Amino acid sequence: MLDSSACASCCLDQESPTLSGQEKRILGIGEDVFSKEHPRVHKIVQTFDGLEPVLDVERALYFTRSMKETEGQPLNLRWAKALYHIASNITIYIDDYQLLAGRLGCKGRYGILYPEIEGDFYETFLDKLGEREGGTAFISPENMRIIKEEIGPYWKGKTYHENFNAAVPQELHDILFMDEAGTLPRYLVNETASWRSSLQWVHDYGKVIKRGFMDIRREAQERLDALDPNSPTAYHEKRPFLEAVIIVSDAIMLWARRHAEKAEEMAAAEKDPVRKAELLLIAENCRQVPAYPAKTFHQAVQSQFFVQMFSRLEQRTGTTISNGRMDQYLYPLYKQDKDNGKLTDPQAMELLECVWCGMAQFIEMYISAQGTSFNQGYAHWEAVTIGGQTPEGEDATNELSYLFLKSKREFPLHYPDLAARVHARSPERFLADIAETIKFGTGYPKLFNDEEIIPITIAKGAPLAEAYDYTVSGCTETRMPNRDTYTSGGLYINMPAELELVLNNGRMKKFGDKLMGVETGDPRNLKTWEDFWNAFLVQQSNYLRIALDIQYITNKMRQKFFAVPMSSSLHDLCMKYCLDLHTEHIPEGYESGLADFIGYGTLIDSLAAIKKTVYEDKSLTMDKLLEALDADFKGYENVQELLKNCPCYGNNDPYADSIGHAVERHTMKFFEKYGKELGIYMDTRYVPVTAHVPFGRVVSASANGRKAWTPLSDGTSASHGADVNGPTGVLLSNDASKNRDMINRAARMLNLKFNPKTVEGRTGTRRLIDFIRSFIDLKLWHVQFNVINRSTLLAAQKDPQKYRSLIVRVAGYSAYFVDLTPDLQNDLIARTEHSEL
Amino acid sequence: MQDRLVTGHIFNIQKYSVHDGPGIRTILFFKGCPLHCRWCSNPESQSAQNELAFNSTRCLTHKACGTCADICPNQAISFSQQEGFPVIERKKCHASLCRERCSSVCHAGALKIFGKYITVEEALREVEKDAVFYQRSSGGLTVSGGEPCFQPEFLLALLSEAERRYLDTAMETCGQAPYEVLRGAAAHLNTLIFDIKHTDASLHKAYTGVENSLILENIKKLCAEFRDLPILLRTPVIPGFNDSEDAIRELCAFVAALPGKNISYELLAYHRLGTQKYQQLGRDYRMGDIKLDNVLMTRLKNFALVQLGERFVA
Repeated sequence: MLDSSACASCCLDQESPTLSGQEKRILGIGEDVFSKEHPRVHKIVQTFDGLEPVLDVERALYFTRSMKETEGQPLNLRWAKALYHIASNITIYIDDYQLLAGRLGCKGRYGILYPEIEGDFYETFLDKLGEREGGTAFISPENMRIIKEEIGPYWKGKTYHENFNAAVPQELHDILFMDEAGTLPRYLVNETASWRSSLQWVHDYGKVIKRGFMDIRREAQERLDALDPNSPTAYHEKRPFLEAVIIVSDAIMLWARRHAEKAEEMAAAEKDPVRKAELLLIAENCRQVPAYPAKTFHQAVQSQFFVQMFSRLEQRTGTTISNGRMDQYLYPLYKQDKDNGKLTDPQAMELLECVWCGMAQFIEMYISAQGTSFNQGYAHWEAVTIGGQTPEGEDATNELSYLFLKSKREFPLHYPDLAARVHARSPERFLADIAETIKFGTGYPKLFNDEEIIPITIAKGAPLAEAYDYTVSGCTETRMPNRDTYTSGGLYINMPAELELVLNNGRMKKFGDKLMGVETGDPRNLKTWEDFWNAFLVQQSNYLRIALDIQYITNKMRQKFFAVPMSSSLHDLCMKYCLDLHTEHIPEGYESGLADFIGYGTLIDSLAAIKKTVYEDKSLTMDKLLEALDADFKGYENVQELLKNCPCYGNNDPYADSIGHAVERHTMKFFEKYGKELGIYMDTRYVPVTAHVPFGRVVSASANGRKAWTPLSDGTSASHGADVNGPTGVLLSNDASKNRDMINRAARMLNLKFNPKTVEGRTGTRRLIDFIRSFIDLKLWHVQFNVINRSTLLAAQKDPQKYRSLIVRVAGYSAYFVDLTPDLQNDLIARTEHSEL
Repeated sequence: MQDRLVTGHIFNIQKYSVHDGPGIRTILFFKGCPLHCRWCSNPESQSAQNELAFNSTRCLTHKACGTCADICPNQAISFSQQEGFPVIERKKCHASLCRERCSSVCHAGALKIFGKYITVEEALREVEKDAVFYQRSSGGLTVSGGEPCFQPEFLLALLSEAERRYLDTAMETCGQAPYEVLRGAAAHLNTLIFDIKHTDASLHKAYTGVENSLILENIKKLCAEFRDLPILLRTPVIPGFNDSEDAIRELCAFVAALPGKNISYELLAYHRLGTQKYQQLGRDYRMGDIKLDNVLMTRLKNFALVQLGERFVA
C-alpha cells in the first residue's frame, strides 16, 4: 500500500519496531525460559560465558617433545606417536555439571597451539595477543616461557609457514607479501594455506559409533599381518600407515580411558549422590566409547565428541572439524532409546547442548595476523547438518532434525553452526521450523540447496548415493567423508584490485610504484569498451595464474609437513590404499582446489559504471574518472553520484548481471584449462569469511562510487545499499550471473538482511517458507539471513556490555557482534535491510 | 494483441510486496486519484500530472553541484542561502513539458520526477521477472495507486492480458469510479481490495474531497454480483476521523449487511511514514503531528471482531 521506494530513510526507523526473539532476550523482554527449562546447561554456560580466552600450551608442548624424539621416521608414524604422547600426558578435565567428557585445555574458554604450522610467529606475535583487534587472549608468564624457550626454538626453520614462504618464487612473493618473512599479506592474491593444515574437514562419525576404534585397529592389524613381506612398497608405504592407525587408535582409546579413571576418581570423592551417579555414568561411557560400538544415545554423543575433540589435537584445518549429518548418524540410537523408554526429548536435547557447551569453550586461536583478520570474532564453525536426502534419495528429515532446530532457538550461544539441507521435496513442516528458527534472529540455520549441489557433485564424478549423502563442512562448503580428499587452503583473489591495476597501469595506489600486476598501459589509451575489457582480462588472468602457481606449491608441499593418522583411519579410500589423507592424490578420490573471489559485487558495479559512463553514454571521460578516483571523490561528489547511479548487481538488471556472468566465465575457463594439470577440479567460489574487510583496506576509491579503503562487497551479495529493489532482485541477480553450464564452481555465499517486521507472525513465517521454496527452485547454492533491526546494531556499538551476547551472521558463520572490529561492525550495519510495509 | 500496446501512467513498480494480496507480489502504482485523503501516504499518487520531488538528504548542495538550476529551461530552480539546497518555484515548473531535465542530471537522486508512461507489455514484462516467487507463494500482480480505475482503458487491457498469461491479479481501489469500470476489472481479478473509509457522507467529503455515496453503492453492487471473488474491505483507522467505536460500528454494520462468504474486513492502523514525501513535494501534511493511540486501535480491532466474527481479519 505504501510506495516505499521514495522514503528509504524513514522506513528504516519504524514507528514501533518489531523485535526478533534474540533482541527480546537481550533487552530482557519476556521470561528467561532457558535457565528454568535447561538448568544444567545454563549452569555450564555460566562457568565460561564472557570470559577472556586463555591459551593452553600442553598440546603444543607434548607434540613438540615427541616430534623431537622421532626425527627421520615416516611422518604418519611420527604423528601417531606424537598423538599417543599427548594422550598419555595431557591434563584430563571433567567439567562441573557436564554429562560429557573431553576437553583439550584448561577450564573456561581456551585455545591451543599448532607450532608445526605457525611456530615461527611466536616471537613476534604472541606478545601482542592481548591487544590485537578481532580477538585477544591471555597467556600466563609460565606458559609464555615454555613457548619461547622450549616449543618455539625447536620449530625454527621447520614450520609449514616458513617452508612455504621459502618455496614461493620472488616474483610471486612480491604480490603475496609485504615482508620477506611472509607474515604481512598484501591482500591482493592471498594465500590461506600457511595458517592451516588444509581446508575444513568432516569425519565419518557414524563409522566410529557403529564400529569403534577396537575394530578399526583390528582391521589395521590384520592387514599389517597380511602384507607381502617381500614387497618394498608394502614395507615403506603400507606398513607405516597401518602401524600409525594402530598407534593412533590406541591413543584415542587411552585418552578416553583416562577420562573414565578421572570420572571414577571424582565420583569417589563426590558427596552429592546424583552427581556421583552422573560421574559413574560418564566413566561407564568412556570405557565403552570410542573403543567399542555405542550402545545408547548418550554413548553415541560421547563417541562423536571424543572423535571431534581428538581430531583438533591432530591438526588445525582451516575452520576446524565439522560435525556432519548429526540427525542421520545419531538417529538409530536415538530411536532405540526412545522406543525403549530410556530417553526423552528433553534429555536428548540436554546431551546435545552439552556438546555445544564443549565446542563453545574451544577457541580457534590464530596467531598470525592474517589468520585473525580472515576469521574475526574467534571464528570457528563446526557445521551441524540436518535434513536433506538419504543415500537412497529419500527425504532424510526425522524427529532429531526438529530437535536440533529447537535447540538452536533455545541455546543462547553461537554454537553449533547449524546448516539445513533443503530440496524440492523437503516437508513443509521442516521449512516452517527452519523459518521460525531464522526468525529468532541469530542467523541460523544457513541453507544449502540439494538441487544445486548434488548435480554439480555428480557432474564431477561422484557416485549418486554419496552425492545424496553429502554433508556441509566449514563455512559454505560440502564434503563426502569417504570420497572427498583434503584440499589445500585456497587462494583469495581481490577482484576490485584487478580493476585498479587496469586503471593504474599495473599498480596499486596503496603500494606506490611497485608493479602489482601487468602493465596494460595508460587507461586513456583504451579507446573502446572491448579494449578496456581485454585489459581487465589480462590483469585477471595474471592473478588466476598466480593463484594456480601457489596452489601447485601447497598441493605438493602439504603431505611433507602434515599427517593425520586418525582422520585417515576413518576414510574408506585412505584405508583401502594405505595413504594418508594429506597425500596429494588418492585413487578414486574426489579432488578439488579453489579460489575465493572477494568483492564480486564491487567489481561488477565498477565495470558496469565504467562501461556506461565512459564508453557508452560518454558522460565521463577516462581523465575525469581517474581524477575523481584519485581524489577519493572529494570535490567530485557529482561524479561519485553519477557512478553510483549506474546499473548495479543485485537488482535483476541484465546490464550488470551479464558483466558478472562474463567475469566468472573467464575464471572458470581458465581453471578448467589449467586446473587439470594439478589433477584437481579448481573451483571458482565466493566465500570471503571476513576477508572483504582487510581486502577493502588496500583498494583505493572504486568506480562504483565506493570510497577508498572501505570494505568490499561480501560473497555474492550486492554492494552495500546497491540492492534497492528488494530480496527477489538479489536472488535473481545471483542466478543470472551464474555460469550454470560450467562445473568449475562451488559455493556462492549469499547474505540477506531482513527487518523482523517483514517476517512477523504466522503470515511472516509463511512468507519466509515461500521465499525459501523459490530459493530452492532457483537452484542457488546457499543463503543465510540476518533478521535484526538496524537500530539494535547501532545500540550494540554504543553499549557493548549490554549487547555482549548479541549474535549476528557474519559470513558463513555467526559471531558475537561486540567481538568484531569496528570496520566489520559498520560493514554489517551497511548491508541493505529488506523491509516492506 | 492491441491490449499490449495500451499505455498507462504510473509512478512506481514495487517488487517483493507482501501486504497487498496473497503471497509475494509486485505492485504497479497508478498515477492519479479522484480522492485526496488527508492521511494519504502516497501523495505523489494523487495528481494525474508528473510531479517533481526534492529529497534534501540526498542533495550534494550548491557547493558541490548546481547543475539542476543551470539546466532548467523555466528558471524554476534557485538555491537557498544557508544550506545551498535547490528551491523549486512550483508555479514555473512544468515537469512534463521540459523532459525532466533537472532530474536526469541529478545523479544523486535528490530531484526525482514521479510519473512515467508504460505499455501493458512493458509493465507485464517487468512484473513477470519475479514469476519464480509468485509460483511458490500464490503471489502475482497488484494494481494500486492512485486509483487504478482512473485509467480504465489501461487497467482493463492490463488485467485481461495478465489473465491470459495466468498471472494472479489483485486490485486496490478507493471505489470512486463508474460501476462498469469496476465490474470490468473485477471480471479479471483474483482478489479485490476495496477501501471503505467512513459511512458518514459529510465527514467523508471533508477528509477525502468526495462524498461516499458512489463508493458505498459500488461495494454493494460488486458484492451482489461477484459471489466467488475474494473481496477484502479495508478501513484505515485515522485519528480524528474514524477512530471511534461509533464509526467502526457503522462500518461493521454496513459490512455485515453485505451478502456472500467471499467478503472479509480488515482495519489498518494509521501511520506517518509518508510525511517525508509531502516535504519532498513541497506540500503541507494536513494531519499535523497527530498519532494513532495503539491501545485504542487494539480495542477497535476487538470491537470489530465481536461485530463481524469470522469476516474480520485480525
